[in-house]
Parts: sequence; structure tokens; C-alpha cells
Amino acid sequence: MAEDFSVYLGGEFGPFLAWDEVNAPMIRHWCEAMGDTNPIYTDPAAARAAGYNDIVAPPTMLMAWTMNGYAGKRPPGSAEGNALAVLSAMSEAGYPAVVAVNCEQEYERYLQVGDRVTYRATCESISEEKATALGTGFFVTELSTFYNQRNEVVGRQRFRVLQYRPAAQ
Amino acid sequence: MKLADIRVGAVLPELTIDITAKLIVGGAIASRDFQNVHHDKAAAQALGSPDIFMNILTTNGLVGRYVTDWAGPDARLGAVNIRLGAPNFPGDRMTFSGCVDSVDAESGTVVVALAGRNQLGDHVTGTVTLHF
Repeated sequence: MAEDFSVYLGGEFGPFLAWDEVNAPMIRHWCEAMGDTNPIYTDPAAARAAGYNDIVAPPTMLMAWTMNGYAGKRPPGSAEGNALAVLSAMSEAGYPAVVAVNCEQEYERYLQVGDRVTYRATCESISEEKATALGTGFFVTELSTFYNQRNEVVGRQRFRVLQYRPAAQ
Repeated sequence: MKLADIRVGAVLPELTIDITAKLIVGGAIASRDFQNVHHDKAAAQALGSPDIFMNILTTNGLVGRYVTDWAGPDARLGAVNIRLGAPNFPGDRMTFSGCVDSVDAESGTVVVALAGRNQLGDHVTGTVTLHF
């Protein structure tokens, strides 16, 4: 019988802050790397023509603003803790491998230059033990909700991983 | 692209992207993701991977770009839902294809279904919701 990991369900972790406010250089750098030439990300006139006040960030950058970065440190003022602590517990219980399965992002509003992003996270679901092609394990979903400096919801991200014991080769 | 011009079943132009080490590292740094498997080949190999591989945030960014390249600056991204499959390794190419899955003229909502395939199979499949 598989261990019961349901004690790790729920909880609210955060707020986790961003090192930098939404800014044009990071947006331009992202667009260069992605080859994204949508002018609303770099040209204020094009952004205004599309109904925004100023250039906006590609919505898919949502998570990038709050990444810990090179030094792997959370920005000052961030909370401690981690909504996916269950993954370490599973690893110790004999399910050492992890693979990302799904990423679902929804965007309530576009981020503009000067916005400050924070997020809060919860462990939204833990599946029953499942046998998959990779091995036996659990699907775990983290829900992160992102806010701006006015505490308005900017977007949400559901990130689902499979934490598993690899099948015998 | 205007909402009135979009029909269910319309096919998006394909987009082929060369998967280079430069793209993988550049995308990882642009997304502030410094996990070593996205820039350090020896570290990636020590974890059983043949090479460095693209991070999820870059995949998200490329998916968003693919759809707005077609939809244009008047489309607003409402959601990007992706399922992850075969990794993107350097030296591969990924080709995006997509088609319009649904159009709701009243709310101005369009859903595009897409896939990004490399030589190993589907790197990414999913849907993107647009608002006009």
C-alpha cells in the first residue's frame, strides 16, 4: 500500500517576490531569444495602437519575473517554504525521479513596465499512485497565483509533475 | 488578423525553429532559469540526458510567439495550456503546426490547437486561447 501524502495537500505559500519590476530590457532580451517580433512588446506606439498605455510584457514571461535567478536566492521580503515539499518526501519514500508533464497558464491582464509581480502557491492536487510508461508514481499539481502591486490577479499557473520510481529497464 | 477573418479549422502557417545550444541557453537566461541542465552539457549527461535541453519557460515563450505571429498585435493571449513530451536537444529542429479549434464571435474568443514536433516526436502539444 502506497504511503499517504495527502498531508501535503493545500496550504498557502508566499508571497514570493520579484527581483525586478517589469522592465523593457528584460522584455527585449526575452523577445530576442524567442524571435518574437510582436511590436506591442517593444514599441510604445504599437502598444498604444493595440489599446495599452505602454509596452507590455509577453504574457508567457509570467513565471520569469519571480525566478530566483543566478544566485538561486529569493528576493528580500519573500516568504519561506515551498508548495511542492511533497516531492522531496516522495523522493525519500522511493520515488526519486521527476518529470514535468503539463504547464497551464491563464492571463487575466497584461503586465506593463513598472508593474511589480508577486505570487502565492499551493499544492492543488496529488493523484493516487499510478502506473505509467516511465514507472509508478504520483501526479502533483502546484497552483501559483500571480498578483501585481495593486493586488490584482495577473494570472495563474498550474504546473503538473510526475514524481516516480523508474520502471525496471 | 481580425476576429471576423478567423474560421474554425483554419490552418496556421508552420514555423520551424532550429534548436541550437545558443537558443537553449539564451532562452534559459532570458527566463532567469539557471538550472544546470539548460546550460552545462556535462551536468546534463551526469543526470542521464544526452545533452542540455530546452526549459519549459522557453517552450512557453515559443508557443506564445507562434500563435501571435499569426494572430497579430490585436490578439490578447488568454491562456497557454501545454503538455510536455520529447526534449528539445541541440542540433534538432522543431516544427510548429496548428489550427483553429473554436471561435466564439460573441465573446471574441479563439482557441488554437497546436503541436511542436522534433525528430523524437511531440515536444509540446496544447491549446492557446486568444481574445480579440
